[in-house]
Amino acid sequence: METIVEMHGITKTFPGVVALDDVTFQCKEGEVHAVVGENGAGKSTLMNLLAGVYQPDQGEILIDGELIEMASPHEAQEKGISIIYQELNLLPDMSISENVFLGRESIRRFGFLDDRDQDEKARELLHRLGIDIDPRTMLKRLSVPQQQMVEIAKALSLNARVVIMDEPSAALGGRDLDYLFEVIRTLKKQGIAVIYISHRLDEIFEIADRVTVFKDGHVVGTHAVADIDRPSLVRMMIGRSFSEAFPPRSTMAGEEILRIEGLRVGTRLKVDELVIRRGEIVGISGLVGSGRTELAQAIFGTRRMEAGIVWVSGEEIVLRNPRVAMRHKIGYLTEDRNAEGLVLGQTVTQNTALPSLKDRQRWGVIDRKTEREIVKVATEDVRLQAPSLTSDVETLSGGNRQKVVLAKWLISGPELLIFDEPTRGIDVGAKAEIWGLMRELAEQGKGLLMISSELLEIVGMSDRVYVMHLGVIVGELRGDQATEEEVMMLATYGEKHGD
Amino acid sequence: MATRSLAQEQRVSQWRRLLDRQRDVIVIYSILLGIVLIAAIALPEFRNPVNIFNVLRQGVALGIVSVGQTVAILVGGIDLSVGATISLVVVYAAGFMEQYTAWWMVLGMVIALLSLGLLIGFINANVITRLRVEPFIATLGMGAILQGMVLMYAKRPGGDIAPGWEYFAEGMIGPVPFPVIFLGGLVAVTWVLLGRTIWGRHIKATGGSEVIARLSGVVTNRITAYAYMFCSLMAALTGLYLTSRMGAGDPQVGGLQYGKFDLDSITAVLIGGTQLGGGKGGVIGTVAGVMIVSVLSNIFNLVGVNPWIQWIIKGLILLAAVAIYSVQQSDEG
Repeated sequence: METIVEMHGITKTFPGVVALDDVTFQCKEGEVHAVVGENGAGKSTLMNLLAGVYQPDQGEILIDGELIEMASPHEAQEKGISIIYQELNLLPDMSISENVFLGRESIRRFGFLDDRDQDEKARELLHRLGIDIDPRTMLKRLSVPQQQMVEIAKALSLNARVVIMDEPSAALGGRDLDYLFEVIRTLKKQGIAVIYISHRLDEIFEIADRVTVFKDGHVVGTHAVADIDRPSLVRMMIGRSFSEAFPPRSTMAGEEILRIEGLRVGTRLKVDELVIRRGEIVGISGLVGSGRTELAQAIFGTRRMEAGIVWVSGEEIVLRNPRVAMRHKIGYLTEDRNAEGLVLGQTVTQNTALPSLKDRQRWGVIDRKTEREIVKVATEDVRLQAPSLTSDVETLSGGNRQKVVLAKWLISGPELLIFDEPTRGIDVGAKAEIWGLMRELAEQGKGLLMISSELLEIVGMSDRVYVMHLGVIVGELRGDQATEEEVMMLATYGEKHGD
Repeated sequence: MATRSLAQEQRVSQWRRLLDRQRDVIVIYSILLGIVLIAAIALPEFRNPVNIFNVLRQGVALGIVSVGQTVAILVGGIDLSVGATISLVVVYAAGFMEQYTAWWMVLGMVIALLSLGLLIGFINANVITRLRVEPFIATLGMGAILQGMVLMYAKRPGGDIAPGWEYFAEGMIGPVPFPVIFLGGLVAVTWVLLGRTIWGRHIKATGGSEVIARLSGVVTNRITAYAYMFCSLMAALTGLYLTSRMGAGDPQVGGLQYGKFDLDSITAVLIGGTQLGGGKGGVIGTVAGVMIVSVLSNIFNLVGVNPWIQWIIKGLILLAAVAIYSVQQSDEG
């Protein structure tokens, strides 16, 4: 296999940070090269250098042994490098072929478009990926994985020889993921190099030929996947083994803090009994669409219950809306913290203080001094690592953003906290910190409900696990006895009857 | 949606695809049809052919300016200077034709005023793309400047038109008023430009996402300039049409008294299904939007609704149109 891309001695600094320090990376024809590392380890910076978004301060990039410079993404594309970002760069109100050939349309005379020719080319490209979708279909009619295929088709149309995929699996599950892998294998066969950035280790063992681990702007090492096992890969990433990452369980579960009976939400969600005790972390597992998030939303009052009785600390209440839930000291950390949990563009202090502003104002004027003090205490409690409390939350890593959300809730003194995918999109090291914080909260006597798609997290963190399938709780397991296989079995219970 | 299998063969019928692209257009024409039917049944004066042609003729000015506004909104902007541009062209044209009536002088004037329109659009676009001023503010400021220039030139209605100039507004081709055919031609040309040429494709792409378009190699600054120049050109054309229609120049024609073309053109375009923020829509919908606005005005006048109530209703319609489309938008996601 020929080497396509070589990067030697690459250094890139941003104001105040050395993002990459003397990094060497190479990738060969027809290989899938996984790139892993915590957030901020430098993998995105490296990829953006390769895609022409940034230019290196030092070091050289060679393609086919030839020294090149790429001043823009456009030039990188011309050199055969395409990047597919997590946020897909596609226009929803245009067709597949219009998207694929945007900026490179087939034209007849006088600027008139030749859509027939373009559609035909797009159909061919999709065909090469083994997809049979009409290229005239509007993009917004496609599912996220289908849209990803359009991006890949676009890369093919640019005659890409290197395709960089930035966490392509973040929005995919099960069958769609298998399909993505199939397409990646197709690309491989055509001699295209795929650089695959991911947080999920399973995927790397399934699809990658080699893996390069980044840490703190350095390359820890590049290995053939066949020569490495999961624990050693994790050790390379975080410098300790994974099982140590979970805090020890506590055994004491106190009085009931939440009891739900006969819950009905919509037409599908039916929960006969659910109990959370003080000092307990209760995990909820299930596939996407099993009703996990709907359950959490019902408990927080953002989704209407058709029926059901709810007791909070023994008192029967009607969860009409989130304000009622908050008055009864229930907190909810949503799945999408960037859209629903934080005001990006505002500072740590402003974000943290937001929900409790009315407690610290006098005649509508915010008392800045107490605000600062309260925020300081709360952010110290969650061990926030931010340059300062006046930093924009947008500049923080995923883990620290989650800490800001948590700090925000802690100020209101909640007794029951619902965590929806608490560590999604957070790097391994910060995950361990969030887990530690969650366990601390439980030990303080709070009740925690944790929804998670990651089996390892469910099994490693929960004292008790409820497994859901198609809107119904199909099993309850003790956390210290549950295994990933057992939970998965329950979650897919009934799968054979069709989904 | 996300669970739809990828490998699964997926045939979208021709009909479904047409519906996808044209759903808003179909809805808006149905509404127009409904309004016209109700008015025709309830108001004998409305279904009088003389009145129908009157509505069409009155709709032409709004139609021309709205065709331009469609393109400005489609590229992701908005143009609040069309009203003042119209006023400026009206007073200059009427003032000029008061003095000079030779055909070649008038032709020179037409070319000069249309070029002035292009210049206004060019400045708008550059203020937006290079000085990074929001389209809303950039064109609001431009509108104020132009209105000032109008009042500097003409304090009150005046001027005259050259003989034969009235044909633009009053001429007939067979039973059909010439201006209606003129507008029809303009709509057809714009429809082809937007739907069949690379220019239109890039306007929609820039409106859909300026960043994505730029990263795909579209020169978005240039495309934006074309769009605003087209919009101002249409406004200038509207001004020329209005001088023909009124036989004089009124310095407030575009802004305060008659149509309030800024508001009406934006209302017509948005009712017509072009998305505020750009990327989606077209002139076919705008035509329906223009007709709805014109038909409603006509109905109000026939029934004798106060002008101030008309204003309130227009404002409500604009807000409702935008709200309905944006609620629909978020449901789709």
